[in-house]
Amino acid sequence: FKDDFSTSPHLFTPMSPYDVELPIQTAEDGVFASQLSQPKELHTDFSSVDLSFLPDVTPENKEQNLSEDGHETQKELDGSLPSNEDSGVFMDESSLSHPGAAQPSPEASGVCPPLTPMTPMTPASESSGIVPQLQNIVSTVNLACKLDLKNIALHARNAEYNPKRFAAVIMRIREPRTTALIFSSGKMVCTGAKSEEQSRLAARKYARVVQKLGFPAKFLDFKIQNMVGSCDVRFPIRLEGLVLTHQQFSSYEPELFPGLIYRMVKPRIVLLIFVSGKVVLTGAKERSEIYEAFENIYPILKGFKKPS
Amino acid sequence: EVAYSQSTGQKEQLSRCLQRGIRRVRDLCKVLQLPAVFEETAVSYFQRALQLPAFHLVSLEKKELLGGCCVFVTCRQHSWPLTMGTVCSLLYARQDLFAGVFLSLQKELGLSVPALSLADLVTTHLSSFRLFQPAASVPAPFLEDKEKLLARTMGIVELASETWLVTGRHPVPIVTAAAFLAWQSLRPGPRLSCPLARFCRLAGVDLPPPAHLRLKELLEILLGMASQLSWLRGFALDKKTVVKHVGDLLQHRVFLLRNAFSQQDREEQQDKEEQQD
Repeated sequence: FKDDFSTSPHLFTPMSPYDVELPIQTAEDGVFASQLSQPKELHTDFSSVDLSFLPDVTPENKEQNLSEDGHETQKELDGSLPSNEDSGVFMDESSLSHPGAAQPSPEASGVCPPLTPMTPMTPASESSGIVPQLQNIVSTVNLACKLDLKNIALHARNAEYNPKRFAAVIMRIREPRTTALIFSSGKMVCTGAKSEEQSRLAARKYARVVQKLGFPAKFLDFKIQNMVGSCDVRFPIRLEGLVLTHQQFSSYEPELFPGLIYRMVKPRIVLLIFVSGKVVLTGAKERSEIYEAFENIYPILKGFKKPS
Repeated sequence: EVAYSQSTGQKEQLSRCLQRGIRRVRDLCKVLQLPAVFEETAVSYFQRALQLPAFHLVSLEKKELLGGCCVFVTCRQHSWPLTMGTVCSLLYARQDLFAGVFLSLQKELGLSVPALSLADLVTTHLSSFRLFQPAASVPAPFLEDKEKLLARTMGIVELASETWLVTGRHPVPIVTAAAFLAWQSLRPGPRLSCPLARFCRLAGVDLPPPAHLRLKELLEILLGMASQLSWLRGFALDKKTVVKHVGDLLQHRVFLLRNAFSQQDREEQQDKEEQQD
């Protein structure tokens, strides 16, 4: 059983509905308050606003979702919550699973209260002291309606459409600084975000733009497809040695590429290791895979450090 | 009457594509003057690969490259220093396409391809230099003894490897720069004024663009080492004059590198400590 709380916070509604101690019947305020206080206590350096509490589109509230989007975004940035919309979701969740009471949900029983699902899982710093920084997130979402790309390109700002070169509209926004590829089928790819939350926020903004242009855009099946991270171990690495000892995972062809390509099996991540000590990690679907991969490779790389 | 596709005739004969491909592999081996066992290995790789779905339906261009890849892999496995650049130029192939086919071949056949041996590359690369026999285009002072040049170039290449100039870099420019330095240092008088480009023209070899950078880096390393040799400290050595002392520097390089680097490390450590304060 994978602990979703630590690995995919963006997909989870807050824990409080599942928390046994907090009765759902008491006002939503109680739920919101506890949920509000927790992130503020634990997030010291959270560069982007956490939007994981934003409900995914469910059949009941999809209309609400996007119509409230502009309003919502503002409130998200303030950190306060619109009560009516989210309460709908909380109510749904609580009706679906009766936390603590009938169903012994594993989340409720096995969970440790101090750890909220929204805290990005930081790796155990004592091992390497280095945290890979996320550089790029690629995500996809289904707007679930056919789109007239020419129309979009003509009326949207920062949109380019050259069907001879590529069959999608390329749209850019400045905050979060991202690029979207919007296809006529209604599928969209969002790239360039530096965190999962930013990627989701950006995707919603693009969906909003498409909606404002008159298309009945929805926000279905948002999924992070790839995450890229990078870091620096701060010592030079003998790639020739590494390829000898880890032959089954490594590919080092200086005629082709200056870095060593290391294909880690668990987690399934590809690392690009350079002689300077810079490491690029890619292929992750979740942030924890990047951290885990780096913690796995660090002791191996230390073995090839230039002796001082 | 039975259609050909209904018969087993297809399985009995080698397809024309396969026949052509095998012929191409054999021709390539002959051009490169490879031992007979290489030819057999390369052909068997080619036959195996072409049957796999990953290569069966690829473009003809890629199938042509596949033959070259099989030869290339065979050479690497026998420590025969053949570079991708050489194979690509013989096949008039795009190197990026070759790279893709090579990586696929490695993966599909599960082949382990050992790293290119730089020492072996030096030997074969230097053999193509036309500086060992008298020729109309080569002035007398520029002629050199092959064994001497080989030994000194090898020393410089080893030095480059130890001082982190080789990791992550394309091997051929390093060998070219090292050969040039070695050649200059063996008879500095008339040769110091000859630039790298002219040297390559005379030797009849290509001048790869990174060679200039590698040369610069090598000279910096040599200057660093020279500063540790007591009898050279008196001279104000520069890029030109240090070349005269390459022989000495190579001879004592173990000692000099240790000193030069430990000095650097000590300075770095001091800088770090100062920053922390």
